[in-house]
Amino acid sequence: MKIFHKKDGGIVQLIGKEKMQDWPVELPLVFIEYIRDKQLGTYGDNKVEKEISAYLDEILKDVAIPRLISVLEGDDQDEIIFALKRIEDLSKKNVEMARPIAPYLEKLIKNSNKDIVKLAESISNNFQKADRRKELAKKRNIMREKESQFLAGKISGEEYAKARREYLTLKE
Amino acid sequence: MAKKKTSQDWDFKATKSLLQEYLEKGTEKKDIKLPEDTIKIDDLNKKETLNRIYKLVDKVIAKIYASGRPTIELPSRSSSNIIWDEENDLLLLGKQIMEKQFHSLTSVADMTRLMRVLEIVDELLVKDIHATKREIFYTDVKLFRDQKNSDKSIEDVATMLYTTRNATHVVAAPKGSCVGRLRIRDRNDIIDLEGLGSGGWTISPMLDNIEILESDAEFILVIEKDAAMMRLAEARFWRKHPCILLTAQGVGNVAVRMFLKRLTKELNLPVFSLVDSDPYGHYIHSIYLRGSKRLSYESPFLATPNIKLLGVLTRDLDAYNIPNEVRIPMTKVDIKRTKDMLNEDFVKQNKEWREDLSLALKLKIKAEIQAFSTHGFEFLTDRYIPEKLSTGDWI
Repeated sequence: MKIFHKKDGGIVQLIGKEKMQDWPVELPLVFIEYIRDKQLGTYGDNKVEKEISAYLDEILKDVAIPRLISVLEGDDQDEIIFALKRIEDLSKKNVEMARPIAPYLEKLIKNSNKDIVKLAESISNNFQKADRRKELAKKRNIMREKESQFLAGKISGEEYAKARREYLTLKE
Repeated sequence: MAKKKTSQDWDFKATKSLLQEYLEKGTEKKDIKLPEDTIKIDDLNKKETLNRIYKLVDKVIAKIYASGRPTIELPSRSSSNIIWDEENDLLLLGKQIMEKQFHSLTSVADMTRLMRVLEIVDELLVKDIHATKREIFYTDVKLFRDQKNSDKSIEDVATMLYTTRNATHVVAAPKGSCVGRLRIRDRNDIIDLEGLGSGGWTISPMLDNIEILESDAEFILVIEKDAAMMRLAEARFWRKHPCILLTAQGVGNVAVRMFLKRLTKELNLPVFSLVDSDPYGHYIHSIYLRGSKRLSYESPFLATPNIKLLGVLTRDLDAYNIPNEVRIPMTKVDIKRTKDMLNEDFVKQNKEWREDLSLALKLKIKAEIQAFSTHGFEFLTDRYIPEKLSTGDWI
């Protein structure tokens, strides 16, 4: 068990990630979500919560995603569908957690199994939506900057209008 | 007059110190080094157990071809072959070997039952399922005649394979329950032992499917009786004081003891027992502490040598003003049991335990955990247990 020490002398113990290597493929993800959703807020210690959150990220990176990838690269279609369903759920809740499987989607979209294609497309859409949201946020910041520069007379009306047009196009 | 303490006021200092000590030292030895004159039992996985069965059967077949009279060697489970290992504080099986032979009417029946159980165990392992001892008996009532015979063969099979009974997928019926700050995995399900109501989780005898996932408990309390467990569960004791509560409703069966062993080994938490103040309660504590004589070959997998006897101690009866009306006079059987306990090597070596049993024998009284209700229903949860865990008044 991995031990986390609380300031009040208490402890939190979590199963070691090496033990998860033999788990069913979706279980490390279920475990991560469970601890994040149900337990993390109950420990009453910010330091421990941060440490555990980092440990959960480590499990995701070192165990959960590599295990999913090994399934996606395999031949068992039922296992692939099962894994993709879990990844689709994950991509809705926390897209960055599912991001490491992005390179495998292109191949899966060309698969002969319709269910696999449907799930792969749905995950791909979620990635695209997330990318767009990110891009929009970036442009929004630039737009705010341009506005203040325009009001301060530092840029021309033409330059401001061009930036505005780009932002509105992306937003639509 | 001093302000009356509530359960929130106790600091659990002694228990916290013990926890820190355990965390620093790692009290639970990961690999117990057994004395040379005892046999080594392994907790095998399915594949390893099957391999041992096939090797054993190959040997029997070879003997049949060679002599026509098969024999099977297995460690003797007679009391003369049970050894108390002082260093590890465990009851273990010595190296005396007995031979089962296929040469008389009685031994033929015995050998046939043994081979039948071996066949059933092989089936259970191949199918990856579990069966209770009762189910095994009903697979061949004509052959076994009485469950005592099938039970004996089940234990013989485990010893002749040099493994635990659980490794043979023969399990006890579910008996105990557990509740508190613990999350476990049962195959693909995550079970939160805080969220199952006051009844808690029924300890699964199929422990090979169970894995400990997370806990923020600081100690484990093993309770002899359901009624006391109910009192603690109703008070949601684990919410105020981070702990895991466990009861076996009397003597812990294999599943309960193995689960407790697993908890202490993996979580390395202080463990306490709360039993009646009578020789039977002390006997229950001793079974958790060092194992039973009958299952001595499995002791390293069942015993919890660092369990502390929190109470109820005979000395507590005066310390907590337990009135005479709720103290019960000892019967002749109680007196004999107490004397028997005092004769056990592991009691002789423990001064405080010896003194408490001697005091019980002198006063010839006993009392149940429920005797504390005389001071109010919350006395057990708000005063007795928190005070003892704070002051370190245990054996």
